[in-house]
Amino acid sequence: MKTNLINTISKIALVLIPTLTLSMTASAHDPKLHAKKPEKADCSKMDHSKMDMKDPVAMAMMKKCMKQAEVSSDKIDGKMDHSKMDHSKMMDHNKIDDKDMKKEEHNNH
Amino acid sequence: MKILKFILLLVALGLAAVATVIYSGIVNVAADEPHSDLVYWLLEETRETSIKKAAEDIKVPDLADPELLLSGGVDYNFMCASCHLKPGQKESDMSVGLYPAPPNLTIASDSHEGHEHGDDAQRARKNFWVIKHGIKASGMPAWGKTHDDKRIWAMVAFLQRLPELTAEQYQILTALDPNDNQEMAH
Repeated sequence: MKTNLINTISKIALVLIPTLTLSMTASAHDPKLHAKKPEKADCSKMDHSKMDMKDPVAMAMMKKCMKQAEVSSDKIDGKMDHSKMDHSKMMDHNKIDDKDMKKEEHNNH
Repeated sequence: MKILKFILLLVALGLAAVATVIYSGIVNVAADEPHSDLVYWLLEETRETSIKKAAEDIKVPDLADPELLLSGGVDYNFMCASCHLKPGQKESDMSVGLYPAPPNLTIASDSHEGHEHGDDAQRARKNFWVIKHGIKASGMPAWGKTHDDKRIWAMVAFLQRLPELTAEQYQILTALDPNDNQEMAH
């Protein structure tokens, strides 16, 4: 009885292990085709000289790129929100001597 | 009485023949094995006539609004491009594997071989109906179950301009709106 059970389990394992291994390694020929990451509009490739600004396609592209530029500039402004700066810590920099300051500036650029 | 018996016999024979075809397994349903020319023609004619009739009373709205191209472009890229392709793309896993093969919508319908596509309004009506209701046993889903008419018309507007778009224009129009944090919204 026990031998039968072991035999059955061995048979199942013999079929299952290669099947699972093969199915896990199987992949589409180009995984990039299956990736669906949201992309930003690449507005640098817009050729304004060739665009008819009355054409809905051109108008839509302009709209998308302007919106994207607005959002980007808002994000930059948001990062430079002076009201959130901790001025007390900024004062500590005054204690740094000129030599260290130059070193720090150099490291940060 | 003899005629009635004869008709009944014919019906019984017909049913037996149908049952034999169904249960014998002789019909090959593999998608990598094309239909015979006759079966293909029968199915295509039936499909085209059915769509034409079902879509004939649909009123086409103004599709020139640039906002429609933006909304329709994003939806097309997520929902349709894997089968119906993008500008510059010749094939995909889905376009090669599906049968019947999904039409390449980056090519103008005038240059498609086979059935007639009609004028712009007829094409728009047909596209709207197909996107909304889908097509049985073809791989084309009924997007109307999860998308309202406004979004479907936006896709129709995008489809009208798709064959003229360059890969760069397509990329810009279909990129996700920076304000929409809707990664994989579908």
